[in-house]
Amino acid sequence: MTMRLLATTALAATIALPAAAQDELRFFNVFDATASALWVEPLEAFREATGVRVESESIAGSGAAVYPDVLRTAIASGSPPDVFFMWGGTIAQPFVDAGQTRDLSDLYEEFGWNDRFPPWIIDRLTQPDGSIHGVPFKARGMGLWYRKDLFEQYGMTEPTSYEELAQICETFIENGIHCASFGGQFGWHTMRLVDYFLEDTCGAETHDAINARTETWDQQCVVDAFARLRQWVDDEWLVPNFLGVTPTDSRMPMYLGNAAMVYEGGWFENALIGDGQDPGEYAFFLPPTPSGRFHAFPEQWKIPAQSTNQETAAAFLDWITDGETHMQWRAAFEGSVSAGYSPDCDAFPHACRWTEFLTSDRGTYPPTDQAFERELIDGFFEAQDGVVAGLITPEEAAAMIQRFVEEFDSPG
Amino acid sequence: MDNIVASFAERRTDFVIKLLLVGIAVFWLMPFVVIFLTAIRSQGDMIRNGIFSWPEELRWDNFVAAWDTGRFNIYFRNSLFLILVKVPLGLLIASLAAYPLAKMKFRGSDTVFILFLVGLAVPIQVTLQPLLIMMSSLGIANTLWALIPPYLAFGLPFQIFVMRGFFRILPNELIEAARMDGASETSIFFRIMLPLSLPPLATLAIIDTLATWNEFLIALVLISANSSRTVPIGLMQFQGQYQSQFTLLMAGVLISIIPVLLIFLFLQRYFVAGLAGSVKG
Amino acid sequence: MTLAETTATRPRVRRRSAAAERARRFAAIRPWLFLAPALLVYGGFLVLPMLFTLYTSFYSWDGISPLANMTWVGLENYVRAFTADTVARRAFVNNLFWTAGAVIIPTIIGLFLAIALNGVAAVNRALRTIYYAPAVLPLVAVGLIWGWMYNPNFGAVNLFLREIGLGHWAGGWLSSHTMALPATFITFVWSSVGFPMILYLAGLQTIPRELYEAARIDGASRWHCFRFITLPGLVETHVIVLSLAVINGFKVFDLIYTMTYGGPGRSTHVLGTWMYFQAFQFHNAGYGAALAWIIAAIVLVVAVPYIRRMSRS
Repeated sequence: MTMRLLATTALAATIALPAAAQDELRFFNVFDATASALWVEPLEAFREATGVRVESESIAGSGAAVYPDVLRTAIASGSPPDVFFMWGGTIAQPFVDAGQTRDLSDLYEEFGWNDRFPPWIIDRLTQPDGSIHGVPFKARGMGLWYRKDLFEQYGMTEPTSYEELAQICETFIENGIHCASFGGQFGWHTMRLVDYFLEDTCGAETHDAINARTETWDQQCVVDAFARLRQWVDDEWLVPNFLGVTPTDSRMPMYLGNAAMVYEGGWFENALIGDGQDPGEYAFFLPPTPSGRFHAFPEQWKIPAQSTNQETAAAFLDWITDGETHMQWRAAFEGSVSAGYSPDCDAFPHACRWTEFLTSDRGTYPPTDQAFERELIDGFFEAQDGVVAGLITPEEAAAMIQRFVEEFDSPG
Repeated sequence: MDNIVASFAERRTDFVIKLLLVGIAVFWLMPFVVIFLTAIRSQGDMIRNGIFSWPEELRWDNFVAAWDTGRFNIYFRNSLFLILVKVPLGLLIASLAAYPLAKMKFRGSDTVFILFLVGLAVPIQVTLQPLLIMMSSLGIANTLWALIPPYLAFGLPFQIFVMRGFFRILPNELIEAARMDGASETSIFFRIMLPLSLPPLATLAIIDTLATWNEFLIALVLISANSSRTVPIGLMQFQGQYQSQFTLLMAGVLISIIPVLLIFLFLQRYFVAGLAGSVKG
Repeated sequence: MTLAETTATRPRVRRRSAAAERARRFAAIRPWLFLAPALLVYGGFLVLPMLFTLYTSFYSWDGISPLANMTWVGLENYVRAFTADTVARRAFVNNLFWTAGAVIIPTIIGLFLAIALNGVAAVNRALRTIYYAPAVLPLVAVGLIWGWMYNPNFGAVNLFLREIGLGHWAGGWLSSHTMALPATFITFVWSSVGFPMILYLAGLQTIPRELYEAARIDGASRWHCFRFITLPGLVETHVIVLSLAVINGFKVFDLIYTMTYGGPGRSTHVLGTWMYFQAFQFHNAGYGAALAWIIAAIVLVVAVPYIRRMSRS
């Protein structure tokens, strides 16, 4: 109790609230039941310290998330929240382009946020014109998680090149085990593998250029990447018939020992626990590429331009992205990259390693669904699924994506 | 047709058909078995042994956990309130409208009927945005009251269509006789039309209760405050961005279907009670 | 009976009293009094929003920007749907197949179930509940369970096929460009036969039992009873069931969105899901609105003449 009081007074001293603050904030997020429960205490602490009640309005949901739809409708109808959650890149871009989000540049200045987060993540959130409309909530890195027992059984070590990875898959399938399991239902899960192939075959520079659509997709390295996808399907390195399987269900073959790996992010440690698995029996590696870069993306908070409560919202954001706050409720802020935060390395060794990668200066590349607009990525998924199903060749897939890009980018 | 004299061969056919239907019913219930099995075990158990296996250990406390962490007490209260207000009100409004369309001749009746039919063709999804704008300007967005007008409006076309169809079957002589006796149209409606229409009303009540209870999109978009949410939105919380609590979700699903199943069982009697006897043509 | 007829059959009234005049006027507005609540709710909360989407369908709009920022494009959205949008065309074809299936299969099963299970016997009540039960499930459960049933690796469908020696029929189901839609349709049949069943049950109660008794005494077979009493007696119900099957077939959205999300590729999109993708995910609210109106127009053109013809007799 005394501790709580102390913490509260300390909080009150550090949160500079505007004089005419309203006493309620609407806070849109994607928390599920577990996360909502973890956030009860921090939000209550904020209320005690400031008198501002934060009304958390959660829209959870898995792959076919409806959250952006709800958010969009709320904003367009003139009843926006005061703070909202967003993924990175093109998922957030329409809200920025529509002029519905507040430029936070002045807040970065005021609160010193530039020193709080790793440069790459600020870079990802910065607009071409230099403005910045979001503040990082979490950084998410993705890699290949594998069953340690299977790697040990066949005397394998984590690969350092694509060739070594291919060798591992070869060995697994010879022994009747699929190398990796994917769930193709929403497209973005399969995409992770394609993204990795592209980073490897095209190299960092070209990969960035085709993502930015300054270079054509109709080129050899893209064809090579899709040819790899085709070969992984043909040789059954991937668990067959995965296009209609949900990403969550695709973990099952690995749990059952029929597949060795899944392509997941730092969150997978918690997922393992939730699925009754021992996280100690699993490990992950960053899919090897010459560039050394890895898959990563930010999750962020934004303030709607229409919010009538922007000052309070800013104070709230400063507080929930503060490393000190995070240290107090570490479980709620798992995945944070704020300065001053460190995960509980004994309890969550994998999270610990991810934080290391994500705060290092090792390069990152975005998942294509955060580089392509949603309409465009839908075409990308069609090409990718076509290759998996054997309906189109890798060459046709590359040409098809380029055609979609040109149609999308052509004016009118 | 059970009490009509049937030959031996016919009774044998009946028996075979019943047996067949019982057999198929087993398959029909398979998904429910899966839901039930998932609801009473731990997630680890389900994953280790497979979704279609018998649980290692029965976890009845999943139901309590789903109720508590899902805050089902709030959602249940809200959804019950909705069906108790919306379903009777909707059926009344629809029956009122169906009566003149079926039994009165007046200019424009055809046009009005078609206007209502148009509503059947409207995809709900595109009306979400204007609806939210309307509810905001009425000051009831984010409250349960915001759901009632659109639910009524979207239920009406179908209900009017069905009630009109059934009212048309009712013999005109009944109405004429009542009119001769000096009964007002209102009392004809309440004393003759409605009581003779219990089977379709019960059917519509079932369909409407279900539609209201399980409605997802409108409730999702018009209400974001936790305190006003309904059961289907509550169920969403068990599926996070990166992981799902299948066992709690299925426990929640089982809890959520109990009220509607009870209503179905209760209303069933009205469409098999042999009311036809009183509607001689 | 129209007013004209009524007055004609009555003895001539020489001088119309003011009271009679009032009564006549009241008779004219009486139907509208019954209709008023429905028209009010319907007009305000369905017609108005729909008119708003009609308005936006002539604009290019991202659905997020303030309304003032919409750009007038005339009929361009409609032209695009009919000429340039290949996915919409595929979706339309899928709708046609879906609707054809939805008109025939659940309707026949539902009619059969209604006749077989009509009656107060306990077994009937139990079976009716069972066959109706899937409709009670929330969509999220239907999607998950059938995803598991169809799972190519551990799914019950493939396990069952292998068990009964039809292992070569086992397949990817939702993962296959060609099988995903039929597989989803099977789930649809499972979840929806209860709907025509209870409508037909209600319809059966309106057929006077005496008709059957008389026919049986005359020695009519059961097939004759079905053909000449049951089927014609259900004519109003047929109109309702069939036209709803057509309408819902073109409007189908939930189940496909949940089970296939339009995939693999975009092979299982129907107009409803494609419209939702356009309006909500691709931020083409104007185009989405146009697609919604196209869906509504198709439904009306197909269903309304049928309903009108059937309900004239």
